[in-house]
Amino acid sequence: TNSAKNVAKIAAGAVVCVESEIRGEVTIGARTVVHPKARIIAEAGPIVIGEGNLIEEQALIINSYPENIAPDSEGVEPKTMTIGINNVFEVGCMSQALKIGDNNVIESKADLGRNMILTSGCIIGACCQVNTCEVIPENTVIFGSGCQRRVQTERPQPQTLQLDFLMKILPNYHHMKKTVKTTSAVTPAKN
Amino acid sequence: MASLLQPDRVLYLVHGEKKIRSSLSTLYFCRYCSELRSLECVSHEVDSHYCPSCLENMPSAEAKLKKNRCANCFDCPCCMHTLSTRATNIPAPLPDDPSKTAMKKAYYLACGFCRWTSRDVGMADKSVASGGWQEPDNPHTQRINKLIEYYQQLAQREKLERDRKKLARRRPYMPLAFSQHTIHVVEKYGLGTRLQRQRPGAPITSLAGLSLKEGEDQKEINIEPAQALDEVEPLPEDYYTRPINLPEVTSLRQRLLQPDFQPAGASQLHPKHKHLLIKRSLRCRKCEHNLSKPEFNPTSINISSECQVLLTLTNPVESITHVTLVGCEEGDPEDINSTAKVMVPTKELVLAGKDAAADYDELAEPQDFQDDPDVVAFRKSNKIGFFIKVVPQREEDGDVTVSFKIRHDFRNLAAPIRPSEEDDAPTEAIWLTHHVELSLGPLVA
Repeated sequence: TNSAKNVAKIAAGAVVCVESEIRGEVTIGARTVVHPKARIIAEAGPIVIGEGNLIEEQALIINSYPENIAPDSEGVEPKTMTIGINNVFEVGCMSQALKIGDNNVIESKADLGRNMILTSGCIIGACCQVNTCEVIPENTVIFGSGCQRRVQTERPQPQTLQLDFLMKILPNYHHMKKTVKTTSAVTPAKN
Repeated sequence: MASLLQPDRVLYLVHGEKKIRSSLSTLYFCRYCSELRSLECVSHEVDSHYCPSCLENMPSAEAKLKKNRCANCFDCPCCMHTLSTRATNIPAPLPDDPSKTAMKKAYYLACGFCRWTSRDVGMADKSVASGGWQEPDNPHTQRINKLIEYYQQLAQREKLERDRKKLARRRPYMPLAFSQHTIHVVEKYGLGTRLQRQRPGAPITSLAGLSLKEGEDQKEINIEPAQALDEVEPLPEDYYTRPINLPEVTSLRQRLLQPDFQPAGASQLHPKHKHLLIKRSLRCRKCEHNLSKPEFNPTSINISSECQVLLTLTNPVESITHVTLVGCEEGDPEDINSTAKVMVPTKELVLAGKDAAADYDELAEPQDFQDDPDVVAFRKSNKIGFFIKVVPQREEDGDVTVSFKIRHDFRNLAAPIRPSEEDDAPTEAIWLTHHVELSLGPLVA
């Protein structure tokens, strides 16, 4: 139904501030924290966000129509954007990537294009604009003004301490969006 | 101010060996010559060395010993950022009771920019936060040191030869001194201090040096010449077929920053100690005095109406300053960049002195300067805004640049007071003229 499409399905245990803007069909997993002023916009299709993610202020996760397709044209299948577990979207970043795996870090003001696929353990450095059509291999670090790359030997640690702290403190200062008890388990798409 | 906003809008002309035009924030003013100086008209001298990250100061001799590197700070071999030390807790067996484990702190180096860690190259975590990290030894150190010693001895010998020749030709009335050339030879291989150290009691004259030298037994250093090999290690068989692991290949910059090893693989990139920076002192080449900071602040530009430009002038000294603006005459050799005519106010502008307490003094009487409202737009303590009229000369698109001369009085309060027999006269004011160029931006049709 139409009304179901515009309500975000927030799993129990997720902390989503009321000041965040969530539009469209968005599913948010447990233990995910969405800061105020974060924006998750599902225009051209639904967004499924897994567990344990940290989405900071002014981050923009948007499933938008590709540039050459008008919103009203027919025959356009809505594509689902999937985001795995334990990802960090730092302040001010923008992500349009359709598939993001686990344990990735997208640093402040980074800009991900729609055709990127992040596997796991990737770090997109601050202010790096990456708009290629490729699968980023595991544990890749993209940094610097020239978007240099290198491969790490270990993946970034999950921000469990930070998540626990925020889940305790944020409700003291902000109102939270209502969670929905989902009977069907929200399976975060892996890889 | 020019360093924060629009640094190249206002340029001052410096009469040095070359005619340099640059913004005031990059210029210096010599109090003794009363002239503007740019970085090219002064001599730079090294004052001291310091580390840019821990700000540790060290004298030049110590810096030379440490090869101009800081002892505590490291650079990331991947992106050349400063490395920071991070700690983790690892379970380690207690020394008393091996069966129990306690959490011990282990330290590793990490780069915040590219996420390189010391564990990437296999460096073990250290138990102390600083001082535990060593740079790997250069395998050629011994050979290099031996070569250096040999060449130092050679330089000594050459110097003695030259001195002997000089002595033979010496006229009795010429003073005995180190010639410039011998000093250069001595310095060639860093020998200077060693020479003086070897003869602690003797006076430093070439004659005395000679006689003592022959008495000392010189250690003969023999070096083996470098051997040219016929056979070279063959390339591995799969050299052409093995797929390249691109993340493992080091860039030229990463390689050359480690001249000892120049590793081709990223897993051999070890961190190096941070390079020291210097603090330099500037000395005016003409009067040999150390320079002081510039006097005038540059102006800010507001294009308000069509051809009238509002300029602000700020007076940084505490005394009243009189400023006259004069347009450049026809055929002025310094006026090469202007593309528009400018009409500057003909009357003299008076700027009040800088008074730090004026902002807080509400009962202060307003300054009574009787400004002409056509010329002076506003006046606020030591600032004044005035109008100039600009008439662009060329019609094509381009930047509008005007030039004129500023003439102002300057009292050198820091100059040494000359003792005079008469009663103390106030410090004499001198009049300085500067050639100024203003870049007003592109012409809009």
